Amino acid sequence: MSTPMVRLEDVRKVYRRDAEKLTVLDGITLDVPEGEFVALMGPSGSGKTTLLNLIAGIDKPTGGRVTVAGTDVGSLGESALARWRSQNVGFIFQFYNLIPVLRAVENVELPLLLTPLSGKERRERAMTALKIVGLTDRSAHYPRQLSGGQEQRVAIARAIVADPKVLVADEPTGDLDAQSAEEILDLMETLNRDFGKTIVMVTHDPRAARRAHTEKHLDKGVLAEAGSAA
Amino acid sequence: MRFLPLVLKHLRRNRIRTASTIAAMAICIFLFCTLQSVLAQIQTMLDSASAKRLVTRNAVSLVFNLPLSYGNRILGVDGVERVAITSWFGGSLPAKKEGKADDTDVGEGDDSTTDWSNFFPNMAVEDESYFAMNPEYEIPEDQYRDYLADLRGCVIGRKLADKFDWKPGDTFYLESFIPPYRKPDGPFEFVVQGIFDVDPVKYPGVDSNVMFFHFKYLYEATGQNIGAGTYTVEIADPDRAGEISQAIDDLFANSDSQTRTETEEAFAASFISMAGNLALLLNGIGLAVAFTILLVTANTMSMAVRERRTEIGVLKTLGFSSGQVMGMIVAEAVVLGVLGGAVGIGGSKGLMWMLTNTPGVKDMLAGVGLSEVDLQPVVAASGFAVAIFLGLAAGFVPALGAYRSRITEALRTV
Repeated sequence: MSTPMVRLEDVRKVYRRDAEKLTVLDGITLDVPEGEFVALMGPSGSGKTTLLNLIAGIDKPTGGRVTVAGTDVGSLGESALARWRSQNVGFIFQFYNLIPVLRAVENVELPLLLTPLSGKERRERAMTALKIVGLTDRSAHYPRQLSGGQEQRVAIARAIVADPKVLVADEPTGDLDAQSAEEILDLMETLNRDFGKTIVMVTHDPRAARRAHTEKHLDKGVLAEAGSAA
Repeated sequence: MRFLPLVLKHLRRNRIRTASTIAAMAICIFLFCTLQSVLAQIQTMLDSASAKRLVTRNAVSLVFNLPLSYGNRILGVDGVERVAITSWFGGSLPAKKEGKADDTDVGEGDDSTTDWSNFFPNMAVEDESYFAMNPEYEIPEDQYRDYLADLRGCVIGRKLADKFDWKPGDTFYLESFIPPYRKPDGPFEFVVQGIFDVDPVKYPGVDSNVMFFHFKYLYEATGQNIGAGTYTVEIADPDRAGEISQAIDDLFANSDSQTRTETEEAFAASFISMAGNLALLLNGIGLAVAFTILLVTANTMSMAVRERRTEIGVLKTLGFSSGQVMGMIVAEAVVLGVLGGAVGIGGSKGLMWMLTNTPGVKDMLAGVGLSEVDLQPVVAASGFAVAIFLGLAAGFVPALGAYRSRITEALRTV
């Protein structure tokens, strides 16, 4: 059996404020195989986003081990972790988080600034990513000139432009109308199916969760499997 | 360098804020460069002083003259080679430049018709000894002979000659603003007998916008009732300047007119500092402005970083290291400094060009020895360095905040 793309082993996350301890994740163990599309669901405060942050390598566990694409994320230092993120993880935010002073194509190019690619190569790759999300004709637009759905598609292009192994999405449809949400979910399905991206998505929306292969439910920091959605 | 376009894009986020910060920085560097240029010019003047020359003046104030009998007594001091009376005449061209001014126009105590815009330094000197100890003034021999032979004769520097288009044989009039040096019958008449040159390479800082005439003319025209403004004293060994100065002052310690003797450079410095400690004042102004701009720029950068907290979190999420994010913010502040510095340096250069090329203003500057004031490359480079330093210092603290910020906290910021 091959090593899963994401492996969480007895992961704990505890926040401390003065003498007070707040356990957000309590002994999470989870395997996500390569090419899987997992939806993480649960009520607010259940620890979904914290779990996503651990998988994306933007936070470190208090206990246990997080292994993504064969790397023990918790063992990396700050700079090495940043470099690892740029090569292995694409992050899709709920509120898109595009840089307002950059055009769509420049936003997509951002992760490539960390690669040795030339300016021309970066621009070509960014345009390819925009083509995948169907926004070639909006490449010169600023975020303020795009609709919410278009902004999210640009954000997805930015997430995939460096060809990461794992995509993590934090409520990617949470700020969109129903039609735009469907388009984004279609796009994510395509990325998973046609490009083989492993996707871990946090969502409150049952319709979004049904697009995933697997649903996982978190409650008070503890994982409860809900079975396959497909 | 690949992050530079990103840095520049961020500066265009709030154009008014960026422009006003650049303007503030530019004003700071403009002031720095202008004040330092003036100080540099003054220093050049001071540096032009000879180490072999001392100046003896009244210990109380330059306003009071010294007895004429002091000259020979100073000459008797061990180590003194030559002594020459050197009196600042303070003459200006009367408004009526051709011919004598009317008595009614230029009466005693009435200087309303004096043309101050054409003021230039003019000194009454004891010729032979004075020029012997000031070899920087190169006067053609025949002209010097003519000058010595004519009581109303004067020698003028090349710059002065060019300014007024004066040639040997031309006549002009000067009226002093110092009451004892004024005649009841009108301004002094002078005949240009010689034009001297100064080698700018050998004697940098020595101005040729100056005129010398016979002290004897001044003495006789004022009824033989004046003393010596100062004595210029040439000594054989510059290393003995302190000892000889003390010996001269000791000589007159018990007289009515006690003296103060110092090197020519120290004298020039004290002359300039009559208006207060100029260097301290100018540097103080520059420092206060620089500190204020530092705070303004730091505040601007702090605001810029605070409103971009989420973006900083996004950049870090995408894989930018904390060091790279910090570097971009510092670079942003440095770009502000570079742009402000460039504008300030350009403005300072422009102002100095304007001052030294505007009739009237140019002559006023020449009167106080600042006709050559210009933005020296070293001052411009210093100004640029100050601008970059201010940018670095202003950007450092907010950049450090961005460096330390945790991604998860930054992403929670709305």
